[in-house]
Amino acid sequence: MLEWLSTDPLNGIIITITFFISVIIGRHLRIKRAENIRKFIDPRIKILILFFLIISITLMGHWYIPIGIFVLCIFISLKLAIFRNFGKKLVFPVLLAFFILVIQTLTYGTNIINYGISREGFESGFLIFARVVAAASLSILFLSTDSENEILETMRWYRVPVTILDISSLMSRYIKAFSMEAKRMKLAQVSRCGLSGGYMKKMHDIASITGALITRALVRAELVYRAMLSRGWKHDQLSLEGAQALNSMDFLMGFVLLAGIIILIGIDRGM
Amino acid sequence: MHISDGILEPKWIFFWYAISIFFIGLGLRIINKRIKEEPVYLPRLSLIGAVVFVISVWHIPVPITGSSSHPVGTPMSSIIVGPSATVVISAIALFFQAFVAHGGLTTIGANTFSMGIAGNFGGYFVYRLLKNVSPLWFSAGIAGLIGSIITYLTTALQLALSLNPGNVLNYWKLYSLGFIPTQLPLAFAEFAFTAYVMKYISETTYKENLSPAGDRFSRNALLLMLSITSIIVIGAYIGYLGGASMAGTDSTVEATAKPEASPGGIGTRLMSYLGEPLGFALVGITGGLFTGYFWSEFRRRS
Repeated sequence: MLEWLSTDPLNGIIITITFFISVIIGRHLRIKRAENIRKFIDPRIKILILFFLIISITLMGHWYIPIGIFVLCIFISLKLAIFRNFGKKLVFPVLLAFFILVIQTLTYGTNIINYGISREGFESGFLIFARVVAAASLSILFLSTDSENEILETMRWYRVPVTILDISSLMSRYIKAFSMEAKRMKLAQVSRCGLSGGYMKKMHDIASITGALITRALVRAELVYRAMLSRGWKHDQLSLEGAQALNSMDFLMGFVLLAGIIILIGIDRGM
Repeated sequence: MHISDGILEPKWIFFWYAISIFFIGLGLRIINKRIKEEPVYLPRLSLIGAVVFVISVWHIPVPITGSSSHPVGTPMSSIIVGPSATVVISAIALFFQAFVAHGGLTTIGANTFSMGIAGNFGGYFVYRLLKNVSPLWFSAGIAGLIGSIITYLTTALQLALSLNPGNVLNYWKLYSLGFIPTQLPLAFAEFAFTAYVMKYISETTYKENLSPAGDRFSRNALLLMLSITSIIVIGAYIGYLGGASMAGTDSTVEATAKPEASPGGIGTRLMSYLGEPLGFALVGITGGLFTGYFWSEFRRRS
């Protein structure tokens, strides 16, 4: 059965090497393609277009287009292989929209069908529901593909005050450090029989972690900041110098998307 | 729970943005002034901003509903760094939260108003009212409770204004009632959470930065005020149950305490000129200011 091991190894070596190198290249190509799809719009244009798109969705009087956008977003998230993350983030907006749908259905309108449900209420509630899921799925899809640095760069380009940028950049670092440290402290507390028992005990334990974190972090943050200042860092040194200008492709993309939004509103009004 | 994208009508999106930008501008001015005086205020502020972010995305179990929800964190932040700065950091936290699908990009204005302005200033106001008459943990806890409730009442109002403009008050009540099952236990959780956190912080390093507990004089004066008011109210109620006419104490004063009082005296003329409530308020303010101003002097002499 194992005779082939003692025969010419060339074919075996070739097939093994080519297979594994192809595996690596194939994976790399897949990642590259996904990145290209994600980055095909400049973040500055993306945020502006997203804002207008969401406002246009809230102007729509029919549920067809918002639901269509929602389905399209699901399709794109599947294509980008981020559906799990996308779905998880969509839970809260959908819950809120569902709450509004129920209230509108049971309280709004006079044409009662059954069990206090009115036709106008259901139609109005479902329209809001459709708008929310469409807008939320667009936000998640557009924004979850940007890094914090890109977001800050975008804010800088939009001439957001320097103090806000400074606070934001420090905050984004602290959030990560804070979350990681909180998890570590929570695990430490659990291993010492903390976070067990009644509700008040749990609350006390969570609050003591937070209190300890805040006091420790405040001292540490001030020390680090003094060190930054002593090394020449200035509070308002961020400027627009070095910011990459928008190229013609970005402008074209923005124009096409804006035209698309106007067409969508036109279609909705014409229905 | 923040309002998501797609819920508010465009006019309300811009309206809440306009109000929030005004408060953010105001907050920024105060922050810039403070940073000039004390450079380390910037990292402190950023850190509290990170805390607000983490707290408002950190889900806490709600025992009654079996679900989970999140506290707002802004009342606590306003106690530590001040309410104006809290407006700015809550707007930034909400901007970052939009990127994790908590809230939305077009609703940052509305969410900043409910969480960063209404809840924050409401909570802080309560804290300021109580801090001189109660322990720090209690005033901070009540600030958290009230701040949380105000935040969700404001959110309910924003929903009613945008979705049901024809019947705002009715729908405000409805949305508020809808929030109760999750938000009322959450508000109590925020009470416990804020109280414990502030107690912890005050017992450790940052004691000097927090508002000190009230002095004994103010506390005693307020206690005395509450006691006397209670005695008057209880006495009047007992008298009412006993069949008294609730006509006031004028006849008693005239008949027994000061029978020689002139009906055309300065007191009577003042009351008829200003009206009784305003007249008594004026007398109270004048007497109180005088006593308070010269209190130390009286004590020293006696």
